[in-house]
Amino acid sequence: MKMNTEAKETAPDLDRVQRWMQAVITHPDGVLSGADGEAARALIDAGRGNLESVVTRSRSLDAADRLAIYANAYYARLIECVGDVYPVLKRILGDEVFDSFAFDYLQTYPSKRYSLNLLGDSFVDFLRETRPDSEDEQEQSDWADLLINLAILEWIIYEVFDGPGTEKAAMLEMSDVEGIEAQQWLQIALQTPPCLKLVALAYPVNTMYTAVRANEDELEVAYPDAVVSYVAISRRDYIVRRYDLTHPQYELLQVLQAGGTIGAALEACMQVVPDEELDQLLVDVQQWFSLWTAERCFFQAIR
Amino acid sequence: MEVAKRLGHENLGLGLGLRTPHFEYILKNRPKVDWFEIISENFMDSQGRPRHVLDQIAEHYPLVMHGVSLSIGSTDALNFDYLEKLKKLALEIDAKWVSDHLCWTGVAGQNSHDLLPIPLTEESLAHVIERIDVVQDVMERSFVFENPSSYVGFTGSTMSEWEFLSRMTQATGCGLLLDVNNVYVSARNHDFDPEEYIRAIPHDRVVQFHLAGHTDCTTHLIDTHDHPIIAEVWALYRLAHELTGGVSTLLEWDANIPPFEELHAEVLKSKSYLRGEGVQGPVAEWEQEQALKAEGKDKLVAVSPHPLHHSVVEVE
Repeated sequence: MKMNTEAKETAPDLDRVQRWMQAVITHPDGVLSGADGEAARALIDAGRGNLESVVTRSRSLDAADRLAIYANAYYARLIECVGDVYPVLKRILGDEVFDSFAFDYLQTYPSKRYSLNLLGDSFVDFLRETRPDSEDEQEQSDWADLLINLAILEWIIYEVFDGPGTEKAAMLEMSDVEGIEAQQWLQIALQTPPCLKLVALAYPVNTMYTAVRANEDELEVAYPDAVVSYVAISRRDYIVRRYDLTHPQYELLQVLQAGGTIGAALEACMQVVPDEELDQLLVDVQQWFSLWTAERCFFQAIR
Repeated sequence: MEVAKRLGHENLGLGLGLRTPHFEYILKNRPKVDWFEIISENFMDSQGRPRHVLDQIAEHYPLVMHGVSLSIGSTDALNFDYLEKLKKLALEIDAKWVSDHLCWTGVAGQNSHDLLPIPLTEESLAHVIERIDVVQDVMERSFVFENPSSYVGFTGSTMSEWEFLSRMTQATGCGLLLDVNNVYVSARNHDFDPEEYIRAIPHDRVVQFHLAGHTDCTTHLIDTHDHPIIAEVWALYRLAHELTGGVSTLLEWDANIPPFEELHAEVLKSKSYLRGEGVQGPVAEWEQEQALKAEGKDKLVAVSPHPLHHSVVEVE
């Protein structure tokens, strides 16, 4: 271990060394560009030619090569982590394209939290901000929208997996529901848990997500056309569950999630159901509530 | 400052790093492992399956918390929210002790999620000592710090890492997690004698050992935690064991993770090595298979130091 036996009065202070090293090893064009960059030079004016004024060489490696170990690791490891949050999107794009997106993402949204679990939380925003929107590139824009929708779904799944759940909570049981008198029904609200997420998407990406995961070896997935789809994501027994919803189901659950009464939820639901199907709706709604109660979608009925 | 040997902690025996691929095996088979070490950040915010699994494991095994985000050497302010969460988890799972690394992970609000080395200077030492005092006050317990593997040294450094650690522990009463593999990796990368390092540290402050494998890139070593432990590291471990009188020993394996039983067999080899014997085991054979599979893999990813961990989602 090389060291000076006398303290160097000219040595840069700890804060400057750290800021300099961070600027050098996180520079997208590598260590040498990082050392020559404005950010690093404003802290320590070493440049690529004078790196050894800050970092020592070893018998085998010069200062630039040694710093490059950290620089290579910085992007490689974090790109891999972003990929772990969006595995289906990564399979569809392929490693090279996905990694390129993640590389750009990390420059725009470098991690500022201690938890890696939050590393991918702005990826959807990044994809939206960098989406091609030229009318001349309509096909490309559509493709981008499909990918953004898939990313939205994958981030919700990721959040729900390790967020608050219902596993240890007392949930609404069918017996509770049956105990509610018919005339009270429309006035009660059903409290939904925070792990229940509802999302309306411009593409049927939940189906696509299932198809990609089912094809472990070969990726032969038909890329869907734009059709609005509705999905509920929740968690039971610590496993994330996904449910395709119809538009009326989505409207109904949305109102309930916002704290509205069943009466208000039914009203919203009826707005999107054709008149000739309204009779059937009342039959369907009972089945939906049975299903959702079994899936632990409601904490309790609030009268 | 007078401190009890191993800070008063018992020798827990031979433990393993708790990793997601082994959750099911451990819950189902309850293997005879002396103790587990967890990555603190993987559980301190968890409200899902990782925490659920941890709570079950905590009922049957002693647990030690090992963090990667304290950033004790950073010039950014300490994150008190983080410390409170760390303390809460330690109480909830009855952690035997809590450790992190002598490093910084980022500055100016950014987090590299890497364990970056600090210049070994009087200024750094004073800075780290001051922060360790605060951390120990908040945590209401002595903290334990690991010697990191490192790939750069600083021109401005004025002392060796072993002197830095010795003075740091003396001033704060903190413990040491001696990563024997890190000593070996840093010794090769910085051209020093690893035995001199191990002989010079304060042996009564060593609470725990880490053992791990690394990758030899010829010009330097990288602490990849994805290979069996090499003979030279076993020899250093034997020396450290003699000098400390034996402390809790943990095998870290973080990439290309073998099946649980093979991993357990690897840490159990330490008994043979302490007797001066060398052994071959299933991990050595497994490693050869992995090497063949890894051909063609992106070298940058393959040789990243101390691989990162975060939640692996289970979705139906």
